[in-house]
Amino acid sequence: MYRRRMPHILVVEDDSSVRTALLRALADRGYATSSAATGMSGLASAVDGQPDLVVLDLGLPDVDGGELLRMLRAVSPVPVIVATARDDEKQIVRALDAGADDYLIKPFGAAQLDARIRAVLRRTVSPDDGRPAVIEVGGLTIDPNSRIALLDGASLDLSAREFDLLRYLAERADQVVSKRELLTEVWRLPYGGADKTVDVHLSWLRRKLGETAQAPRYLHTVRSVGVRLTAPGAQP
Amino acid sequence: MIRIARRRGEGSGVRRQLFTLVAVTMTLVLLAFLIPLGIVLRGTAADRAIGMATQAAQGQAALIAADPEAANAISGDDVAPGLAVTVFLPNGTVAGQPAARTQSVELASRGRAFTAASGSGVEVLVPVQGLPGGTAVVRAYASPTLLHQGVGRTWAVLIALGLALLVVGLVLADRLGHRLVAAVTGLAATADRLAEGDLDARAEPTGPRELRRVGAELNRLAARITELLAAEREEVADLAHRLRTPVTALRLDAEAVADPDDRQRVNSDVDHLARIVDEVIRTARRPVREGVGAHADLAAVVASRVAFWTPLAEDDGRAMESFVSATPVLVRATESDVAAAVDALIQNVFAHTPDGTGMRVEVTARSDGGGMLLVADDGPGFADSDVERGAAERGVSGSSTGLGLDIARRTAEASGGSMRIGRGPHSPDHTSQLPSGALITVIFGAAQDPPPGRI
Repeated sequence: MYRRRMPHILVVEDDSSVRTALLRALADRGYATSSAATGMSGLASAVDGQPDLVVLDLGLPDVDGGELLRMLRAVSPVPVIVATARDDEKQIVRALDAGADDYLIKPFGAAQLDARIRAVLRRTVSPDDGRPAVIEVGGLTIDPNSRIALLDGASLDLSAREFDLLRYLAERADQVVSKRELLTEVWRLPYGGADKTVDVHLSWLRRKLGETAQAPRYLHTVRSVGVRLTAPGAQP
Repeated sequence: MIRIARRRGEGSGVRRQLFTLVAVTMTLVLLAFLIPLGIVLRGTAADRAIGMATQAAQGQAALIAADPEAANAISGDDVAPGLAVTVFLPNGTVAGQPAARTQSVELASRGRAFTAASGSGVEVLVPVQGLPGGTAVVRAYASPTLLHQGVGRTWAVLIALGLALLVVGLVLADRLGHRLVAAVTGLAATADRLAEGDLDARAEPTGPRELRRVGAELNRLAARITELLAAEREEVADLAHRLRTPVTALRLDAEAVADPDDRQRVNSDVDHLARIVDEVIRTARRPVREGVGAHADLAAVVASRVAFWTPLAEDDGRAMESFVSATPVLVRATESDVAAAVDALIQNVFAHTPDGTGMRVEVTARSDGGGMLLVADDGPGFADSDVERGAAERGVSGSSTGLGLDIARRTAEASGGSMRIGRGPHSPDHTSQLPSGALITVIFGAAQDPPPGRI
């Protein structure tokens, strides 16, 4: 639906090569784009151009991106995805608290940015104020708002990462999701061929779901492809 | 806490030394003053007793000279406690307190008055000449009791006074010591907190002027360290920005490559570059994270990480054994760095050995401080060329990029240790418990302890 309206994305990025590449990648994916190389020109564009979403770099030459975000929030409700090279958790929390709707840590790919833009736009145009719906897969119930996961009515004791992983898989129930995708989308890390981070968290998740790799119920490994969350008894 | 307790112990030592010094000094001063005073007072008491005896003897002599019959009226009792008067008449009779006619009496009967020691007492002999039968001698004897009358009490008072002064001096010394030690202990505690990375720690200027100045300088140093770390954080944040921004442009451009094969190859290279950039940034952040005094319990961290990886090992059908020291093994690295190094090594086994390959993780304390971590597996092990290169250079495992091993190596070297890659022992008789595949030995340096304070 929103693709037909060609959402307008404003990219505020001082690095010309990144800005150019972003504009090209977004245009290739069907977005209308505009850009600004400085914070103040970006603020003016956000007010005058009324974009559907702003991709904001925090490291701007004239004004700190966090400060710009606060100024933007004071004059416009436009959704903002912060694109930052800073992976310090405190700074990310500060950006989210200042009004960012999501964040991306550089370096990121166009597919990831596109997915996040779509997710943010989905939230902002949904009738229930963007609150994600409760997901149910078999006996699994996942409430993204309260971050509570239930298995057959019993609460699951999940770490933050395990919850995010389960939610991501549940949102794509019956689909095979690659480990590369999980690493980039859930962990927001570049994929390393030898990375076992996803595997060990999947193993923990299996324990907490009361199953093993040898006797899976919900989490099915598809060798050399990825993992799929499926309700027990459902045909893949 | 241990360090502060030790500093407190050293503080008590200083206090005790000051206490002992004052005790010895005051005791010597008091002895130097009280002993001569006691001797003088003893002499004064003896002089007073001799004076009394002289007065009694001369008085009696004057009476007898005026009236020879007066001698018969002398009482046989002491004229005063410890003072006895005896009159030796010319006819050989003795009036008053009975006493033997000694040579001193004979000498006095020749007309000489004198004082002489007699036993432990003193006798005063006064001749009375001009009597009808010759010369009489009046002897006044001051007993030791009279000679030392009041001396014991006076000495007791002096000793009590000396002890009281000593106690007062010691109390004052203790208070002074406490004040000094409290100030120094406060400084030491602040220095310890700074060493452990609490850069908000500040010393409260107390105690003597010199110590207040040391406190002010310590606070200035802490402020300077905070400034330098803040500046370093800024530089690292800027470094992340400067490195990751062009990689982002590269990634976006790589994704736009038309040919699928070329795109995949370039994307793979960009992934590799991104991981290296992350590692460079992580390494640059190390001093910022560690602050000024990194330490971690290697045993606890390894136990925790082994527990973390166990579910994956079970899923992969791997036997994962761990032998971790039951006592803490303190090493000079942050917990997060040690955990990252251990994760990298364990992950390396998962990534480069077939499912079902067993592994063993060991942690032992080293006798010279620090700890040793062994990660061994039953897999095919490293190639000879890798082992040689790993020993000579920096450790690169067979098919991997070497980044995981590099994380472990850098953490080990930053702690003052080292890392070695090799193969487990091929022991046909199974005397060694280590698997015979890859063996990585990581030595971690000991957690730094502040040098003993010179309080």
